[in-house]
Amino acid sequence: MILFDFDYERADTLEQAVALLARLQGDARALAGGTDLLPGMRMENIRPGLLVSLSGIEPEAPQVLADGSIRIDALTRLATLENSELVRRVVPMLAQSAHVVGGNQIRQMGTLGGNLCQEVRCLHLDQKHDYQFVAPCYKRGGTCCYPFPRNAPEVCWSVYMSDIAPALIALNAQVEILGETGTRRIDVEALFTGNGLKPLALSQAELLRAVLIPAAAPGFTWGFHKSTVRGGLEFGMAVLAVALQLAEDGRTCTDARIVVGAVREGPVRPVAAERSLIGKTLDEERMEQAAADTSRVVNPLPHHGFSKRHLMDNIRVHLRRTLARALQRARDQEAGR
Amino acid sequence: MHETGVVMLDVSKGKDVRVGAVAGAQSRTRLISLCVNGEWHEVAVKPRIMLVEVIRDTIGLTGTKASCESGICGACTVLIEGRPVLACITLAVECDGKQIRTVEGLAEGEKLSVVQEAFLDQGAVQCGFCTPGMLMSATALLERNPKPTRQDINKALEGNLCRCTGYNAIVDAVLQASGQENVKPVMK
Ligand SMILES: Cc1cc2nc3c(=O)[nH]c(=O)nc-3n(C[C@H](O)[C@H](O)[C@H](O)COP(=O)(O)OP(=O)(O)OC[C@H]3O[C@@H](n4cnc5c(N)ncnc54)[C@H](O)[C@@H]3O)c2cc1C
Ligand code: SF4
Ligand code: FES
Ligand code: FES
Repeated sequence: MILFDFDYERADTLEQAVALLARLQGDARALAGGTDLLPGMRMENIRPGLLVSLSGIEPEAPQVLADGSIRIDALTRLATLENSELVRRVVPMLAQSAHVVGGNQIRQMGTLGGNLCQEVRCLHLDQKHDYQFVAPCYKRGGTCCYPFPRNAPEVCWSVYMSDIAPALIALNAQVEILGETGTRRIDVEALFTGNGLKPLALSQAELLRAVLIPAAAPGFTWGFHKSTVRGGLEFGMAVLAVALQLAEDGRTCTDARIVVGAVREGPVRPVAAERSLIGKTLDEERMEQAAADTSRVVNPLPHHGFSKRHLMDNIRVHLRRTLARALQRARDQEAGR
Repeated sequence: MHETGVVMLDVSKGKDVRVGAVAGAQSRTRLISLCVNGEWHEVAVKPRIMLVEVIRDTIGLTGTKASCESGICGACTVLIEGRPVLACITLAVECDGKQIRTVEGLAEGEKLSVVQEAFLDQGAVQCGFCTPGMLMSATALLERNPKPTRQDINKALEGNLCRCTGYNAIVDAVLQASGQENVKPVMK
């Protein structure tokens, strides 16, 4: 049971949901799978007066468009994503990133849109506030921050933990957003503000409608890794997503996108490290250097008991391996052809 | 077995009660119908009531456990339309018209299901608190994938925590239930 009262409406269309959210300005929330929102309401981190359920809206099946890009409905369940033959074939990195979210039940309930729009996390936030950490922190509208008491007022260093967002950013994907005045399309990367207090660049009455991923060009290869302690049902210590474009020799990098997730208020792209790979032959030394540079610039926020030092080493090691795996994947594909 | 009837849940009107969809109004109580293990139940619920509370407190099927109540442990796993979901973070109002299966629906009368028998045989039950959730996740897996590998089983049971068994006996039990060669029955 949730400890406060709220009302519930079920929308038949996404347009209807947007209209309901607009009418209630600020006091209403969209409910997709509920796996992020309902635990948050149970802890009373969020206290909406109305939930607008999207569960009555049937998601469209993933489809490949005329230009080769793939369009995926934001209401698609993560289990559908990880098991879809089409998604696994056309965007295997997306299927892989959905496969590592939570446990099976979370993937059966959770949706793509909800995953991208999930709340940032902090140990001091994600618990009931009746025993310890009672006074609200900045994130809950209060006047303190427990783990970082010396922070300037209203700086919240909570961490955004989506496993899927880094993969989508590496893939240069866009989101289609439905608002009161129609739809707009932005890069997935532009969805994140980098501000823990308001992590998403969405207004109250805007909803994600779909994710669009451009077609992969010849020479494309990828690597994805979620670094965890147990290897199951766990938020990442870091999520590494890498998309590389290789020249015909299979070694020279012509484009690189690197994304590190689960270490800051939003996913981070180490642009300088990406550039250091472009036009170069990808050998071990160069990948090692790019990983070390990334680890330095990302400046991970200590979270879930991990120190900054530890998280930096973790990013360096796992990014190097993820880059190496991407290269190996390209070689295996070449050999298999 | 169980009475089917209208039961009012949550009629509390404390100062805790918040503004509803229309400013100043309280949330509406809704009448929902659920088919649990083949039997329809009509229940009146406030939106804030979870499926696990309806199953346990209203319908009276206490096999489904409520433990962490925040989506982490899997003890509350039930099947909605055949999919394993967490009843502790599912609003009851979201389940109107749905087919739900709980651990009580696995046995046919006195005859345990193959998965239940295998759990007994392998000693995959100690305190038993995780068992109903484990059984539901395992049942859903075997219905979708009758011959899973150990890796498939690990992945399917990833969302079910057990503090007692160390998991090996549970994974063995699921393998045994799937009728595969690579696990020896312990007692049979
Ligand atoms: C035990 C546990 C483990 C988890 N592990 C992971 C993990 O490993 N990795 C990970 O990434 N996440 C994890 N999560 C978080 C979450 O469950 C998933 O990210 C899930 O995909 C969220 O989707 P949902 O549909 O359930 O979202 P909901 O809870 O329904 O919604 C989340 C937020 O997004 C908003 N929203 C929903 N749909 C839309 C839309 N279409 N447009 C705009 N806003 C929308 C909601 O209003 C809400 O604010 C975990 C959660 C739990 C409880
Ligand atoms: S980091 Fe953010 S969520 Fe955590 S205690 Fe500080 S203000 Fe609150
Ligand atoms: S009680 Fe539902 S997941 Fe723990
Ligand atoms: S048997 Fe005790 S928790 Fe699993």
